[in-house]
Amino acid sequence: MDIASTLDWLQQTGLAVQIRDSLFTFPLLEGVHVIGLALVFGTIAIVDLRLLGMASTSRSFQRLAADTLKWTWAAFAVTALTGVLMFITNAAVYFHNAYFRAKVVLLVVAALNVLLFELTAGRTVKQWDRAPAAPPLGRAIAAVSLVVWVGVIVTGRMIGFTATRAAAAAPAPVDTNFEDLLGLPAPGDAPTPEP
Amino acid sequence: MKQFALWLSTTAPSVFIQEHNAWTIPAIQSVHIVGIALVMGSVLMIDLRILGWAWVDQTLRQTVDRFGPWLTGSLWLLLATGILMVVGEPVRELITFSFWLKMALVAVGALVAVLFQRALRRHDQHWEDHFASQPSIKAFAIVTFLVWAFVIVLGRLIAYDYVWGSWSPAARQ
Repeated sequence: MDIASTLDWLQQTGLAVQIRDSLFTFPLLEGVHVIGLALVFGTIAIVDLRLLGMASTSRSFQRLAADTLKWTWAAFAVTALTGVLMFITNAAVYFHNAYFRAKVVLLVVAALNVLLFELTAGRTVKQWDRAPAAPPLGRAIAAVSLVVWVGVIVTGRMIGFTATRAAAAAPAPVDTNFEDLLGLPAPGDAPTPEP
Repeated sequence: MKQFALWLSTTAPSVFIQEHNAWTIPAIQSVHIVGIALVMGSVLMIDLRILGWAWVDQTLRQTVDRFGPWLTGSLWLLLATGILMVVGEPVRELITFSFWLKMALVAVGALVAVLFQRALRRHDQHWEDHFASQPSIKAFAIVTFLVWAFVIVLGRLIAYDYVWGSWSPAARQ
Protein backbone atom coordinates (compact mmCIF):
# COMPACT_ATOMS: atom_id res chain seq x y z
CA MET A 1 0.00 0.00 0.00
CA ASP A 2 1.28 3.46 -0.79
CA ILE A 3 1.07 6.39 1.59
CA ALA A 4 -2.07 7.92 0.09
CA SER A 5 -4.10 4.74 0.37
CA THR A 6 -2.75 4.06 3.87
CA LEU A 7 -3.82 7.53 4.99
CA ASP A 8 -7.19 7.02 3.32
CA TRP A 9 -7.60 3.65 5.01
CA LEU A 10 -6.78 5.20 8.39
CA GLN A 11 -9.46 7.84 7.92
CA GLN A 12 -12.04 5.21 6.99
CA THR A 13 -11.44 2.96 9.99
CA GLY A 14 -14.42 2.58 12.31
CA LEU A 15 -12.55 4.33 15.10
CA ALA A 16 -11.74 7.36 12.94
CA VAL A 17 -15.33 7.60 11.74
CA GLN A 18 -16.63 7.35 15.30
CA ILE A 19 -14.38 10.16 16.53
CA ARG A 20 -15.29 12.32 13.52
CA ASP A 21 -19.01 11.75 13.97
CA SER A 22 -18.98 12.65 17.65
CA LEU A 23 -19.21 16.31 18.64
CA PHE A 24 -17.52 15.58 21.96
CA THR A 25 -14.74 13.07 21.36
CA PHE A 26 -12.33 15.28 19.43
CA PRO A 27 -12.47 18.20 21.91
CA LEU A 28 -11.94 15.77 24.79
CA LEU A 29 -9.01 14.14 22.98
CA GLU A 30 -7.51 17.61 22.57
CA GLY A 31 -8.03 18.33 26.25
CA VAL A 32 -6.34 15.11 27.36
CA HIS A 33 -3.58 15.71 24.79
CA VAL A 34 -2.84 19.09 26.42
CA ILE A 35 -2.86 17.56 29.94
CA GLY A 36 -0.37 14.96 28.68
CA LEU A 37 1.95 17.40 26.93
CA ALA A 38 1.83 19.76 29.91
CA LEU A 39 3.06 16.93 32.12
CA VAL A 40 5.67 15.92 29.53
CA PHE A 41 7.09 19.43 29.30
CA GLY A 42 6.62 20.19 32.99
CA THR A 43 8.55 17.10 34.09
CA ILE A 44 11.24 17.31 31.38
CA ALA A 45 11.86 20.93 32.36
CA ILE A 46 12.61 19.76 35.93
CA VAL A 47 15.29 17.38 34.61
CA ASP A 48 16.69 19.87 32.09
CA LEU A 49 16.92 22.69 34.64
CA ARG A 50 18.77 20.31 36.98
CA LEU A 51 21.23 19.43 34.19
CA LEU A 52 21.71 23.13 33.47
CA GLY A 53 22.41 23.82 37.13
CA MET A 54 19.42 26.16 37.41
CA ALA A 55 17.19 24.27 39.86
CA SER A 56 17.40 21.39 42.38
CA THR A 57 21.18 21.77 42.15
CA SER A 58 21.86 20.22 45.56
CA ARG A 59 19.92 17.05 44.82
CA SER A 60 21.32 13.86 43.28
CA PHE A 61 20.62 13.93 39.54
CA GLN A 62 19.90 10.23 39.43
CA ARG A 63 17.36 10.42 42.25
CA LEU A 64 15.70 13.42 40.62
CA ALA A 65 15.60 11.66 37.24
CA ALA A 66 14.18 8.49 38.83
CA ASP A 67 11.43 10.52 40.54
CA THR A 68 10.57 12.45 37.41
CA LEU A 69 11.15 10.61 34.14
CA LYS A 70 8.74 7.74 34.73
CA TRP A 71 5.96 10.34 34.85
CA THR A 72 7.33 11.91 31.68
CA TRP A 73 7.06 8.57 29.90
CA ALA A 74 3.58 7.86 31.26
CA ALA A 75 2.42 11.31 30.17
CA PHE A 76 4.12 10.87 26.78
CA ALA A 77 2.20 7.62 26.25
CA VAL A 78 -1.10 9.44 26.91
CA THR A 79 -0.09 12.31 24.63
CA ALA A 80 1.02 9.99 21.83
CA LEU A 81 -2.15 7.90 22.04
CA THR A 82 -4.46 10.94 21.92
CA GLY A 83 -2.27 12.39 19.15
CA VAL A 84 -2.64 9.25 17.03
CA LEU A 85 -6.41 9.23 17.60
CA MET A 86 -6.65 12.84 16.43
CA PHE A 87 -4.37 12.12 13.47
CA ILE A 88 -6.47 9.27 12.07
CA THR A 89 -9.61 11.43 11.93
CA ASN A 90 -8.04 13.48 9.17
CA ALA A 91 -4.84 11.64 8.31
CA ALA A 92 -4.29 12.89 4.75
CA VAL A 93 -4.59 16.56 5.73
CA TYR A 94 -2.34 16.27 8.77
CA PHE A 95 0.22 14.25 6.83
CA HIS A 96 0.62 17.03 4.27
CA ASN A 97 0.56 19.86 6.82
CA ALA A 98 3.89 21.65 7.14
CA TYR A 99 3.53 22.24 10.90
CA PHE A 100 2.64 18.61 11.49
CA ARG A 101 5.78 17.56 9.62
CA ALA A 102 7.90 20.07 11.50
CA LYS A 103 6.49 18.74 14.77
CA VAL A 104 7.36 15.15 13.82
CA VAL A 105 10.89 16.25 12.90
CA LEU A 106 11.22 18.01 16.28
CA LEU A 107 10.00 14.88 18.09
CA VAL A 108 12.66 12.85 16.25
CA VAL A 109 15.28 15.46 17.24
CA ALA A 110 14.07 15.19 20.86
CA ALA A 111 14.48 11.41 20.72
CA LEU A 112 17.97 11.63 19.18
CA ASN A 113 18.84 14.19 21.84
CA VAL A 114 17.92 11.70 24.58
CA LEU A 115 19.95 9.02 22.80
CA LEU A 116 22.94 11.36 22.60
CA PHE A 117 22.62 12.05 26.32
CA GLU A 118 22.60 8.33 27.15
CA LEU A 119 25.70 7.80 25.01
CA THR A 120 27.66 10.74 26.45
CA ALA A 121 26.93 12.53 29.74
CA GLY A 122 24.63 9.72 30.85
CA ARG A 123 27.57 7.29 30.86
CA THR A 124 29.56 9.39 33.33
CA VAL A 125 26.60 10.30 35.54
CA LYS A 126 28.19 8.82 38.67
CA GLN A 127 31.00 11.39 38.41
CA TRP A 128 28.67 14.41 38.35
CA ASP A 129 25.54 13.03 40.03
CA ARG A 130 26.05 15.40 43.00
CA ALA A 131 27.60 18.27 41.05
CA PRO A 132 25.36 21.33 40.68
CA ALA A 133 25.28 20.93 36.89
CA ALA A 134 26.02 18.37 34.17
CA PRO A 135 29.23 18.50 32.09
CA PRO A 136 29.13 20.99 29.16
CA LEU A 137 27.71 18.49 26.64
CA GLY A 138 25.03 17.46 29.12
CA ARG A 139 24.10 21.11 29.63
CA ALA A 140 23.97 21.67 25.87
CA ILE A 141 21.68 18.66 25.46
CA ALA A 142 19.41 20.01 28.21
CA ALA A 143 19.22 23.41 26.50
CA VAL A 144 18.42 21.77 23.16
CA SER A 145 15.74 19.69 24.88
CA LEU A 146 13.98 22.76 26.29
CA VAL A 147 14.08 24.59 22.95
CA VAL A 148 12.91 21.55 20.98
CA TRP A 149 9.97 20.87 23.32
CA VAL A 150 8.85 24.50 23.16
CA GLY A 151 9.08 24.05 19.36
CA VAL A 152 6.87 20.96 19.63
CA ILE A 153 4.29 23.01 21.53
CA VAL A 154 4.37 25.88 19.02
CA THR A 155 4.16 23.65 15.92
CA GLY A 156 1.45 21.58 17.61
CA ARG A 157 -0.61 24.69 18.23
CA MET A 158 -0.07 25.81 14.62
CA ILE A 159 -1.46 22.51 13.31
CA GLY A 160 -4.77 23.47 14.90
CA PHE A 161 -4.84 26.74 12.97
CA THR A 162 -3.91 25.25 9.61
CA ALA A 163 -5.07 21.65 9.35
CA THR A 164 -8.63 21.33 10.56
CA ARG A 165 -11.19 19.67 8.35
CA ALA A 166 -12.82 23.05 7.73
CA ALA A 167 -9.49 24.43 6.51
CA ALA A 168 -9.05 21.47 4.20
CA ALA A 169 -12.51 21.76 2.69
CA ALA A 170 -12.32 25.48 1.91
CA PRO A 171 -8.90 27.07 1.93
CA ALA A 172 -9.22 30.52 3.44
CA PRO A 173 -6.82 33.46 3.59
CA VAL A 174 -3.64 32.64 5.46
CA ASP A 175 -4.38 34.96 8.33
CA THR A 176 -7.79 33.46 9.05
CA ASN A 177 -8.36 31.33 12.11
CA PHE A 178 -10.19 28.10 11.47
CA GLU A 179 -12.53 26.00 13.43
CA ASP A 180 -13.52 22.46 13.19
CA LEU A 181 -17.19 23.22 13.28
CA LEU A 182 -18.99 20.05 12.38
CA GLY A 183 -22.58 21.06 11.90
CA LEU A 184 -22.29 24.20 13.95
CA PRO A 185 -23.77 27.61 13.36
CA ALA A 186 -21.95 29.53 10.69
CA PRO A 187 -19.55 32.29 11.76
CA GLY A 188 -21.59 35.35 12.53
CA ASP A 189 -24.38 33.44 14.27
CA ALA A 190 -22.08 32.72 17.15
CA PRO A 191 -18.66 33.73 18.31
CA THR A 192 -16.34 31.91 15.97
CA PRO A 193 -14.11 29.68 18.00
CA GLU A 194 -10.89 28.46 16.54
CA PRO A 195 -8.93 25.38 17.51
CA MET B 1 -20.92 41.01 29.07
CA LYS B 2 -21.55 40.96 25.34
CA GLN B 3 -21.43 44.76 25.30
CA PHE B 4 -18.20 44.74 27.29
CA ALA B 5 -16.67 42.12 24.99
CA LEU B 6 -17.62 44.12 21.91
CA TRP B 7 -16.22 47.32 23.43
CA LEU B 8 -13.01 45.52 24.42
CA SER B 9 -12.61 44.27 20.87
CA THR B 10 -12.50 47.89 19.63
CA THR B 11 -9.67 48.97 21.95
CA ALA B 12 -6.21 49.54 20.50
CA PRO B 13 -4.44 46.53 22.07
CA SER B 14 -7.25 44.24 20.93
CA VAL B 15 -7.17 45.64 17.42
CA PHE B 16 -3.41 45.13 17.27
CA ILE B 17 -3.71 41.47 18.29
CA GLN B 18 -6.56 40.95 15.82
CA GLU B 19 -4.71 42.61 12.94
CA HIS B 20 -1.65 40.44 13.53
CA ASN B 21 -3.55 37.35 14.59
CA ALA B 22 -1.58 35.07 12.28
CA TRP B 23 1.28 35.15 14.79
CA THR B 24 0.00 36.91 17.92
CA ILE B 25 -2.67 34.36 18.83
CA PRO B 26 -0.54 31.21 18.32
CA ALA B 27 2.43 32.86 20.08
CA ILE B 28 0.38 33.91 23.13
CA GLN B 29 -1.34 30.52 23.28
CA SER B 30 2.02 28.71 23.08
CA VAL B 31 3.44 30.70 26.01
CA HIS B 32 0.19 30.01 27.87
CA ILE B 33 0.68 26.26 27.27
CA VAL B 34 4.29 26.44 28.50
CA GLY B 35 2.92 28.17 31.61
CA ILE B 36 0.31 25.49 32.30
CA ALA B 37 3.00 22.84 31.72
CA LEU B 38 5.15 24.40 34.45
CA VAL B 39 2.11 24.53 36.75
CA MET B 40 1.29 20.87 36.08
CA GLY B 41 4.89 19.76 36.60
CA SER B 42 5.15 21.70 39.88
CA VAL B 43 1.75 20.59 41.21
CA LEU B 44 2.52 16.98 40.24
CA MET B 45 5.81 16.97 42.14
CA ILE B 46 4.41 18.60 45.29
CA ASP B 47 1.45 16.22 45.23
CA LEU B 48 3.70 13.18 44.68
CA ARG B 49 5.75 14.30 47.68
CA ILE B 50 2.61 14.57 49.82
CA LEU B 51 1.56 11.10 48.63
CA GLY B 52 5.05 9.80 49.41
CA TRP B 53 5.62 8.62 45.82
CA ALA B 54 8.54 10.91 44.94
CA TRP B 55 11.04 13.35 46.48
CA VAL B 56 10.91 11.27 49.68
CA ASP B 57 14.59 12.05 50.39
CA GLN B 58 13.53 15.70 50.62
CA THR B 59 11.33 17.23 53.30
CA LEU B 60 7.94 18.59 52.30
CA ARG B 61 9.34 22.05 53.02
CA GLN B 62 12.31 21.48 50.69
CA THR B 63 10.01 20.20 47.95
CA VAL B 64 7.67 23.17 48.28
CA ASP B 65 10.62 25.59 48.38
CA ARG B 66 11.80 24.02 45.08
CA PHE B 67 8.46 24.04 43.22
CA GLY B 68 6.32 26.64 44.99
CA PRO B 69 8.00 29.68 43.39
CA TRP B 70 7.78 28.05 39.94
CA LEU B 71 4.11 27.33 40.54
CA THR B 72 3.36 30.89 41.64
CA GLY B 73 5.53 32.43 38.91
CA SER B 74 3.84 30.30 36.24
CA LEU B 75 0.42 31.36 37.51
CA TRP B 76 1.42 35.01 36.95
CA LEU B 77 2.62 34.11 33.44
CA LEU B 78 -0.72 32.39 32.79
CA LEU B 79 -2.60 35.43 34.07
CA ALA B 80 -0.63 37.75 31.78
CA THR B 81 -1.00 35.61 28.66
CA GLY B 82 -4.60 34.82 29.59
CA ILE B 83 -5.44 38.53 29.77
CA LEU B 84 -3.81 39.02 26.36
CA MET B 85 -5.99 36.26 24.90
CA VAL B 86 -9.15 37.81 26.36
CA VAL B 87 -8.13 41.23 25.02
CA GLY B 88 -7.33 39.75 21.61
CA GLU B 89 -10.49 37.67 21.27
CA PRO B 90 -12.97 39.02 23.84
CA VAL B 91 -16.13 37.60 22.31
CA ARG B 92 -14.62 34.17 21.74
CA GLU B 93 -13.46 33.97 25.36
CA LEU B 94 -16.02 35.84 27.46
CA ILE B 95 -19.21 34.62 25.82
CA THR B 96 -18.62 31.01 26.78
CA PHE B 97 -19.60 28.78 29.66
CA SER B 98 -16.22 27.00 29.49
CA PHE B 99 -14.29 30.22 30.19
CA TRP B 100 -16.23 31.17 33.32
CA LEU B 101 -16.22 27.66 34.77
CA LYS B 102 -12.48 27.59 34.05
CA MET B 103 -12.01 30.92 35.87
CA ALA B 104 -13.90 29.59 38.90
CA LEU B 105 -11.64 26.52 39.04
CA VAL B 106 -8.50 28.62 38.45
CA ALA B 107 -9.53 30.77 41.43
CA VAL B 108 -9.87 27.62 43.56
CA GLY B 109 -6.54 26.20 42.33
CA ALA B 110 -4.64 29.46 42.77
CA LEU B 111 -6.10 30.04 46.24
CA VAL B 112 -5.09 26.53 47.30
CA ALA B 113 -1.58 27.08 45.86
CA VAL B 114 -1.09 30.34 47.77
CA LEU B 115 -2.69 29.29 51.07
CA PHE B 116 -0.95 25.91 51.11
CA GLN B 117 2.48 27.47 50.57
CA ARG B 118 1.83 30.10 53.22
CA ALA B 119 0.56 27.56 55.76
CA LEU B 120 3.46 25.20 55.12
CA ARG B 121 6.11 27.91 55.48
CA ARG B 122 4.60 29.10 58.76
CA HIS B 123 4.16 25.69 60.38
CA ASP B 124 6.46 23.45 58.40
CA GLN B 125 7.38 21.17 61.29
CA HIS B 126 3.74 20.60 62.11
CA TRP B 127 3.06 19.73 58.48
CA GLU B 128 5.97 17.27 58.33
CA ASP B 129 5.01 15.59 61.59
CA HIS B 130 1.22 15.55 61.48
CA PHE B 131 -0.62 16.95 58.47
CA ALA B 132 1.27 15.51 55.53
CA SER B 133 0.61 11.89 56.41
CA GLN B 134 -3.12 12.31 56.90
CA PRO B 135 -5.37 10.61 54.34
CA SER B 136 -7.48 13.77 53.98
CA ILE B 137 -4.41 15.80 52.94
CA LYS B 138 -3.40 13.09 50.47
CA ALA B 139 -6.91 13.07 49.00
CA PHE B 140 -6.75 16.86 48.82
CA ALA B 141 -3.49 16.61 46.87
CA ILE B 142 -5.15 14.35 44.30
CA VAL B 143 -8.20 16.63 44.04
CA THR B 144 -5.92 19.65 43.52
CA PHE B 145 -4.16 17.90 40.65
CA LEU B 146 -7.50 16.96 39.08
CA VAL B 147 -8.69 20.58 39.38
CA TRP B 148 -5.74 21.75 37.26
CA ALA B 149 -6.26 18.91 34.76
CA PHE B 150 -9.91 19.95 34.43
CA VAL B 151 -8.80 23.58 34.00
CA ILE B 152 -6.78 22.44 30.97
CA VAL B 153 -9.73 20.60 29.45
CA LEU B 154 -11.98 23.63 30.01
CA GLY B 155 -9.39 25.88 28.39
CA ARG B 156 -9.55 23.70 25.30
CA LEU B 157 -13.36 23.59 25.44
CA ILE B 158 -13.56 27.39 25.05
CA ALA B 159 -13.13 26.62 21.35
CA TYR B 160 -15.95 24.06 21.54
CA ASP B 161 -18.42 25.70 23.89
CA TYR B 162 -21.34 23.98 22.14
CA VAL B 163 -20.53 20.85 24.20
CA TRP B 164 -22.42 22.54 27.07
CA GLY B 165 -25.59 22.76 24.99
CA SER B 166 -28.00 25.38 26.31
CA TRP B 167 -25.56 26.31 29.11
CA SER B 168 -23.41 27.97 26.49
CA PRO B 169 -24.35 31.66 26.19
CA ALA B 170 -23.54 31.44 22.49
CA ALA B 171 -26.39 28.94 22.09
CA ARG B 172 -28.90 31.40 23.49
CA GLN B 173 -28.20 34.20 21.04
